[in-house]
Amino acid sequence: MKEICFASVAMLALAGCTNLERSRDLANPDINPEVTALQVCSNCHGVDGNSVSPNFPRLAGQQEAYLVAQLEGFRSHHRSDPAGYEYMWGISRSLTDGQIKGLAEYFSRQTAKANIATTEPQMAAGRKIFEQGIPEKETAPCFACHGANAEGMGAFPRLAGQHEDYLVKQLHVFQETEGRPGTPMKQITHLLSHDDMVNVAGFLQAFPASH
Amino acid sequence: MQGPMAQRIARVFGKSWVVITVSIAVLTLLPADGWALPLFARQTGQNCLACHAGGQFPELTPYGRKFKLTGYTMGERATVPLAVMGVASSAKVASTAGSSDIEADFPHNGRFEFTTASVLCCGKITDNIGTFIQWTWDRFDHLNDQGSWVSKSHADQIDLRYADRFIDKNQDLIVGLSLNNNPGVADVWNTHNSAFTPVPTYVPVSNPSGNAGGPFVDVPAMPIIQSLGQASAGATAYAFWNNTIYGEFGLYKAADKAFSAFGEVPAGEIDSFLRLKGLNPYWRLALNHDWGANSAMVGLHGMRAETYSDAEDMSSPTARFTNYGIDGQYQYILDPHVVTAMFSYTHEKQRYADALWNTSNPEYLGAFANSSNTLDYVRAKLTYVYRAKYGAALAYSSIRGSSDSILYSNPAAVPNSRLWAPEVFWNPVQYVRVGVQYFMWNQYLGAKSNYDGNGRNAKDNNTLFLYVWAAY
Repeated sequence: MKEICFASVAMLALAGCTNLERSRDLANPDINPEVTALQVCSNCHGVDGNSVSPNFPRLAGQQEAYLVAQLEGFRSHHRSDPAGYEYMWGISRSLTDGQIKGLAEYFSRQTAKANIATTEPQMAAGRKIFEQGIPEKETAPCFACHGANAEGMGAFPRLAGQHEDYLVKQLHVFQETEGRPGTPMKQITHLLSHDDMVNVAGFLQAFPASH
Repeated sequence: MQGPMAQRIARVFGKSWVVITVSIAVLTLLPADGWALPLFARQTGQNCLACHAGGQFPELTPYGRKFKLTGYTMGERATVPLAVMGVASSAKVASTAGSSDIEADFPHNGRFEFTTASVLCCGKITDNIGTFIQWTWDRFDHLNDQGSWVSKSHADQIDLRYADRFIDKNQDLIVGLSLNNNPGVADVWNTHNSAFTPVPTYVPVSNPSGNAGGPFVDVPAMPIIQSLGQASAGATAYAFWNNTIYGEFGLYKAADKAFSAFGEVPAGEIDSFLRLKGLNPYWRLALNHDWGANSAMVGLHGMRAETYSDAEDMSSPTARFTNYGIDGQYQYILDPHVVTAMFSYTHEKQRYADALWNTSNPEYLGAFANSSNTLDYVRAKLTYVYRAKYGAALAYSSIRGSSDSILYSNPAAVPNSRLWAPEVFWNPVQYVRVGVQYFMWNQYLGAKSNYDGNGRNAKDNNTLFLYVWAAY
């Protein structure tokens, strides 16, 4: 036990040491956001924002304003969907406004890579929703806000290349919960069926480069 | 934590059912989020399921593996780096037949009691240094001369790390050093050296005297690489390159002298064979690949070790162990489903000093009938968790070994045993787990029936294990 105490004291003595170039500290305002992006965010979102696991949204090429709003929403607990509070509330709790802006800049300037293709019928059904909406369900066409290439626009996120699973889950969050307030998506999704969501999400995941 | 304090705790937790039921009721009614959680969750502010596959233990997610590999340094340093956990459990063997003194042969059989508690001192210290230190108190550690159970606190798992990560768009290299007390505890896949059970199955249900000791919750013999926990202290260096290739190499010695805080070298019986002589190498290689919601690893592990026949006599003859094995893991993690499949096989070759087995040696000690023996240890586990709340698992464990009539005193003279262990569990909140495991033996010490020569069958050892685990 003595040795453990000694080691603990020695380690505490080291506690002031920092390694700003390669730190994973999330409470140090002096750490460059790009360091945090590489050392921490990359674990789930990928070093270039093209996450491998559909559990985690792709951030490459995402709209900077959207990313800033989401990180601020996590930090303030304004955004409270499961993906938000399980993973992001803690990560973002001590980020400064400057670090949030820097992280948003970093991921917005990354190049989005193509994601997994889907079936032709799903592509066709999803494309129709994206381009024409579903008038009888009061669903506006996605491109109206998210852009003709689903590249997003300011606070409206990029959707092209996003994981289907993530999009479907978020559409359900909009439809069924108050976890993501302050967007028109609650109204847009309120009559969508699960199949509609899967189709449009599949189309967006496999968004054609030549669209 | 012994003497009066232990007695007080024993009195308090003697009515464990009441305590546990009330605790679960209270905890279940509390909001799941926004609570201060065990240390790493406090440090990152994240839910347990970020690092633990399905929020359960010990399986780690790809993210959890990075957290461990980078030395527990991600997040914010905790103001008070302490957490506690406790286990209340009951183990009941299928049959106590043939015992003339059930309380002596199967102590505490079927009683639900508070058995184990741990204090954990973990987390980020600097940008490069972090710790995982678990100190455990076992309520029923051993019997004293008066035949009463004595509690004991001791080092459990210790992992002190220094880590750095060199990452850019072209490469990702994590390197580190670990000072720990168990070969394999520094590993991030937990395949070849971790408990099958998410909680310590520390229960004082033992075997009728004259046979290998219980409790019957894992095979009665294991290779040295899986046996050195808390008896060794080691330093390992590791590297993980591009999330693909992992390598680790280290040297282990006995947990004595300056390293006595890492554990306790087993005391002096001739057959302990757990006190390491000198420095003993451990190595591990793994190939990892993540795609979509899947993650797979295939790896190799090995160790060479030399131990004294008498843990208190540094001139006693030694046994040499050579271990090598293959292990693997597959994971599928996509909320609300989590699947983890683990597999590990370890082969051991044991060679003994002449005096331990050679009857013509003037200093013959009679520890073995052979000059060498082998062990083959297989373990596998499949776990499914739904919404990080409801889970089921099936574990398999098997040991086979060469016949040695002195080493194994049972009639078959082999350790051969085979165990299946299904489990269901429930996490009402992320830091409470309630589970039921059933350990089913279809072979024990070389036989299905009458393995001890007194009519005891393998299935008599089947054990029902109930537990409640909680951490704060």
